[in-house]
Amino acid sequence: MPMGHTATQQAGSGGLTATEHRLANGLRVVLSEDHLTPVAAVCLWYDVGSRHEVKGRTGLAHLFEHLMFQGSKQVPGNGHFELVQGAGGSLNGTTSFERTNYFETMPTHQVELALWLEADRMGSLLSALDEESMENQRDVVKNERRQRYDNVPYGTAFERLTAMVYPEGHPYHHTPIGSMADLDAASLEDARQFFRTYYAPNNAVLAVVGDIDPEQTLAWVEKYFGSIPAHDGKPTPRDGALPDTIGAQLREEVREEVPARALMAAYRLPHDGTREADAADLALTVLGGGESSRLHNRLVRRDRTAVAAGFGLLRLAGAPSLGWLDVKTSGGVEVPAIEAAVDEELARFAAEGPSPEEMERAQAQLEREWLDRLATVGGRADELCRYAVLFGDPQLALSAVGRVLDITADEVRAVAAARLRPDNRAVLVYEPIEAADNGESDEGAQPTQPTDVVRAAPAAPAADAANAATEDNDEGAGR
Amino acid sequence: MSDAATTTATQTNATDTVTSMQFHPQPQPGQARPWAFPAPERGQLPNGLTVLRCHRPGQQVVAVEVSLAAPLEAEPQGLEGVATIMARALSEGTDRHSAEEFAAELERCGATLDAYADHPGVRVSLEVPASRLTKALGLLADALRAPAFPEGEVERLVRNRLDEIPHELANPARRAAMTLSRELFPADSRMSRPRQGTEESVARVDAAAVRAFYAAHVRPATATAVVVGDLTGVDLDQALADTLGAWSGDTAAPRPVPTVTADDTGRVVIVDRPGAVQTQLLIGRVGADRHDQVWPAQTLGTYCLGGTLTSRLDRVLREEKGYTYGVRAFAQVLRSTPEGTGLSLLAISGSVATEVTGPALEDAWKVLRTLAADGLTDDERDVAVQNLVGIAPLKYETAASVAGTLADQVEQHLPDDFQAHLYRRLAETGTVEATAAAVAAFPTDRLVTVLVGDASVIAEPVKALGIGDVRVVSG
Repeated sequence: MPMGHTATQQAGSGGLTATEHRLANGLRVVLSEDHLTPVAAVCLWYDVGSRHEVKGRTGLAHLFEHLMFQGSKQVPGNGHFELVQGAGGSLNGTTSFERTNYFETMPTHQVELALWLEADRMGSLLSALDEESMENQRDVVKNERRQRYDNVPYGTAFERLTAMVYPEGHPYHHTPIGSMADLDAASLEDARQFFRTYYAPNNAVLAVVGDIDPEQTLAWVEKYFGSIPAHDGKPTPRDGALPDTIGAQLREEVREEVPARALMAAYRLPHDGTREADAADLALTVLGGGESSRLHNRLVRRDRTAVAAGFGLLRLAGAPSLGWLDVKTSGGVEVPAIEAAVDEELARFAAEGPSPEEMERAQAQLEREWLDRLATVGGRADELCRYAVLFGDPQLALSAVGRVLDITADEVRAVAAARLRPDNRAVLVYEPIEAADNGESDEGAQPTQPTDVVRAAPAAPAADAANAATEDNDEGAGR
Repeated sequence: MSDAATTTATQTNATDTVTSMQFHPQPQPGQARPWAFPAPERGQLPNGLTVLRCHRPGQQVVAVEVSLAAPLEAEPQGLEGVATIMARALSEGTDRHSAEEFAAELERCGATLDAYADHPGVRVSLEVPASRLTKALGLLADALRAPAFPEGEVERLVRNRLDEIPHELANPARRAAMTLSRELFPADSRMSRPRQGTEESVARVDAAAVRAFYAAHVRPATATAVVVGDLTGVDLDQALADTLGAWSGDTAAPRPVPTVTADDTGRVVIVDRPGAVQTQLLIGRVGADRHDQVWPAQTLGTYCLGGTLTSRLDRVLREEKGYTYGVRAFAQVLRSTPEGTGLSLLAISGSVATEVTGPALEDAWKVLRTLAADGLTDDERDVAVQNLVGIAPLKYETAASVAGTLADQVEQHLPDDFQAHLYRRLAETGTVEATAAAVAAFPTDRLVTVLVGDASVIAEPVKALGIGDVRVVSG
């Protein structure tokens, strides 16, 4: 029962505080009050992701996450979606390497409903799970894979890079979406066993953030979740330890029908939760994080050899993080020309480090990204869960931006020198087998503003490809 | 898989669950706290710039949206894409900074600045932490007031844009959208052609063309700036006077908006992609925009048809058949006029596995026919209203989402309280009206279907459906 502490307000946290509690069955609960808008987020992280999957069953964690929306003891059929949406809420679930999350954002007066729903499926999913929903969601997930990876140019790049950076047998060797063969092979019994092993209150963190009365909320949490039995028996995940660097340059060339040559590369970087990871984030931002980054200025502005060039960071706690370089070439430019320029820029950066102006810009960019994540109750709840699950302390979410601002230029230079080296990367080169030669172009189809796929930034695909979600984005009122 | 083992395991677990977890009835909602779409304060700077401001406590990242009356149809014939290049070139150097310096100064503020051209005009979007708002507004003002449009940078943007086109053509969703526009609108309408131009037209754009387009269409008197965020401690009047207030320009009469017709004769166009594992669907026509009285009913009806995975289309195509990851129906305003003669794209979009393309389309048409024959249920209508109205405080949590809607309203010639009233109108719309609007929006014999996929597999089954003539074009 409640025995938490209240955090003091910390620099950069925007005045946020959070309290921690633990139920007798082991469920950890984090509450954070904010009454500015009449909404609240309920976010539940289960400490299970694709790294827990075994050989021959890749994609099971994500397929299972879909099954969590197929009804539970007191919630028939699609009721989880129907009840939340009917209450004016929004919901989804996503699966990554290291966790599976489920989240609802609700109008204040409907928070109790979201807690009741999450408790119902945590405690009773198996009484509703059947062969029919298994077969249906297997097809849905296979179509998700086709739509997001197999039927788009460069769609399998992230999967290929991951497989090189984390060797065969490593828990991060495969991505959360899994392979078609393994999705076909998964059985209902596999899903049941997965639930019994990983879906327990003592393997989860629940955050409720926003316009809440903490005492009332905690009473509801106790009422709905308190009687769900704890169970142990979760196997220790396979060891994700790897040497800091790969030790050699790995390389793969793909000949496919893609619109242009591309040079991609993935580097092993420090684990999330360390100062070195924050330093690496700053290094990648200076080198490839925006329109004033070194690679953009060199390749897109000056050499004019690339359409887009940038770096993205996928932070990982249980294995080395992954830094992803993505360069799409301009016109008939050959990959070696790009590669030589990238090497030159990385070597110069490793020797000289960032200028004071570059540090200021990179820190300002990362600070704004952090403020963006905290701008919604859902974003805040997700960050509190993240730090609770991966690092054991949700309060770390409130001081994260301060830690990034505390990093020195020399730390940034040091991590670049140690990690952004040719012998610590997996290179993926795309060579088109057939040139597209149509004289037409884009039209913004979706009800969002017309965006630009090419500029859509190399950072985004890395983060996106690491997640598999239940539902595609929906629109919403008025659009 | 062993059936015996499966059964035993289920019973064991079901027993455990039932005996140990205490279940409670579904809770009832509490008292709803009132929420209203924020009302902006409207004003005008001495230079004629209209300003909408909105204080949103707690939103530390301030959003600024500037809407410029530079519509795509104002582009000279054969120079399609000049508005896009101009929008991008606004941040490529000013009278105070070179292109690289400008990008560096913006990022030093922790700001992002995006600009794009669409049918109603050019939109410039700034997001910046409130503490650095004034400095970022200065940069935004420089970009609007005194863009340098250096020849070398414009030439680079043109080349970059030409490099992007093949990537867009390769993307199935974007290719489908482009094809649908060309099918729906007459060849002489700007709406039939790609928003960001073709290879041919973009190649003709140069710095002189960009400067001419800017001189003709960009001025404070026809622009609106929307500022939303936590403005505590910000002297916005002073900040605006020092920045956007320094922008000068003459006045201009509003540009007449050409009328557009669309050919929605039922037909199918297949963009051939041999070997594609999925078919991208885009099924559409044009219909009412927000000025039309039917808009709330059309919004409700479209949501019931395909707003989410519990809507009619996904209930069959995804949750029953597993043909897709998700199919959505939506209305996207293309261009509005003060007189109410504007239009929207009404469409159904998604992708389905190649081998089930015929059956998936057959089911989609069956869903539409059933809707026309039997109508929506009261339950469906109620749930749609509860979602569309109830979700508003979530949807408008961030400054950027509020600013985006306010700027859309300006661009669409709607009053500032349109969205606020829309929620009341949605709640007043009945099942019969919503049904009628959905059926009128998606008549089964007036839909243009674009399929990007493997023609050798999908053409025959699609022909057999009788949803219109089928034409195959090369991908």
